[in-house]
Amino acid sequence: MAQQSTIVVIDDDYAMRISCYKILTKSGFDVKLFQDGAQGLEAVAQQAPDLVLVDLKMPGMTGMEVIARVHQIDPTIVIIVITGYATIDTAVEAIKSGAYDFLPKPFSPDQLRLIVDRGLELRHLALASQRAERERMLLKRRFITFVSHQLQAPLAAIHQYLEVLQQLDDGKAAVAQRREFMTNCLRRAEEMQSIIRDWLTLATVESEWLSQERVPVDLREIISDSVAAYQEMAQSESVTLQPELPRDSLLVSGDRNCLRVLLDNLIVNAIKYNRAGGRVTIAGELSGDEVTISVADTGIGIPEEHREMIFEEFFRVRGENAKPISGTGLGLAICKKIANEMGGIISVDSQVGVGSIFRVRLPAYSEKALAAKMDGGAV
Amino acid sequence: MNALPTVLVIDDDQDFQASVKALLESNGCAVLSANSAKEGLRKLATERPDLILLDIMMEYSTDGYGVNQAVKYQDEYAACRNTPIIMVSSIQETPDERFPAAGEVDMIRPDYYLTKPLDIPKFLALVKRLVTREASHGAAG
Repeated sequence: MAQQSTIVVIDDDYAMRISCYKILTKSGFDVKLFQDGAQGLEAVAQQAPDLVLVDLKMPGMTGMEVIARVHQIDPTIVIIVITGYATIDTAVEAIKSGAYDFLPKPFSPDQLRLIVDRGLELRHLALASQRAERERMLLKRRFITFVSHQLQAPLAAIHQYLEVLQQLDDGKAAVAQRREFMTNCLRRAEEMQSIIRDWLTLATVESEWLSQERVPVDLREIISDSVAAYQEMAQSESVTLQPELPRDSLLVSGDRNCLRVLLDNLIVNAIKYNRAGGRVTIAGELSGDEVTISVADTGIGIPEEHREMIFEEFFRVRGENAKPISGTGLGLAICKKIANEMGGIISVDSQVGVGSIFRVRLPAYSEKALAAKMDGGAV
Repeated sequence: MNALPTVLVIDDDQDFQASVKALLESNGCAVLSANSAKEGLRKLATERPDLILLDIMMEYSTDGYGVNQAVKYQDEYAACRNTPIIMVSSIQETPDERFPAAGEVDMIRPDYYLTKPLDIPKFLALVKRLVTREASHGAAG
């Protein structure tokens, strides 16, 4: 399992070094002994130990100096000071200088083991968070490459077409090809425009100006408007839109335009990723102080490994042999931003080949909550 | 005389495929297309092209690097080891520039690296040079 932890002990007292060695080796640690600060530091620089036990009062380099130098080498190495003259003052000074804890002499084997175990726990946490940070940076870099690729792809394709068109001769075959290439260029130009439009929507949702717009909105109206707007698209894809709305209003406090964009995106996705003859069910429900909207389709579904990714910018689900589905890869990222801005969350349940259901849970409108929010926002 | 030199274009962008195919065909090459790394490797093994044009970013990952590695290092593709690869991407930096410190960069370093959109005269000159070289190798062997 975990790698063996390495501990460096620096103490001028021979008996002390030996007893630390015996106790800690027994616990399974790799223990290195040094009789002064200079030698100890050399070992710290070379071997990157997890923990350093250092006597505060030694001839030559003092324990306080050792603390500072060890942390210059690696600030995540945990340092425990051994104090023979245990006044609170020196121990506090050592901790202020970066030591993790202190151990007054004389101490029992159990005391030593306990303090070392706690120290190592801290070290492992620090290492784990360092690793997580590195991974995060790597992912971020990969993401930037990916996004710049997605943004450039349509333009690069158009550019390539145009240059090749310049090279083609005037033969009969070239005429047909020219027509085909121009149609494709137009399609890619439209794709680029959609990406820019969605990108701007994302930016708008992020802007603070928008997040302050809070008025009571009845989601039943938004759903009805959105369903009406996409009826034609649904028909052309042979998909039925089926709103299931409650008799009472579904009031949330939010921005009307944003909520409409949210619903539009969910409904468009449910149509596009459906099958011919499929259905999209749009339902809303008020329960307690929460409104839940759900948009369910009968489409291709989302494999489990993709479910967390689909709300990321530019991520799109593509079936192995499925026909390519047009889109910018930004729709669900926009939905997530809007839901979060309105104090809600968006989630998905899905079964491959059966369908997906997207749920948005938003805080229900209440005068009191809104007032509190406004007060909070004004501070 | 000899059959036309064959270029395998591995790229998931259908439009890039279409324009490059037209360009190469009007310049005396036969073109095979593959839309993914997987399909590319399959066609590579069965069709034995004279030249490979390889996109890096396909789907969501840098699959093109994997194809380069497979051709240059995996036994399965030993027969294609000397088939020249031109890597083509809208990523402006070469693998060496992107991963300056990584040892693995040796595995993904292509024979040639061009950026999209292609500089057509430069691209055609390179293709001509490479397929001629392949043809003379073939004649000698």
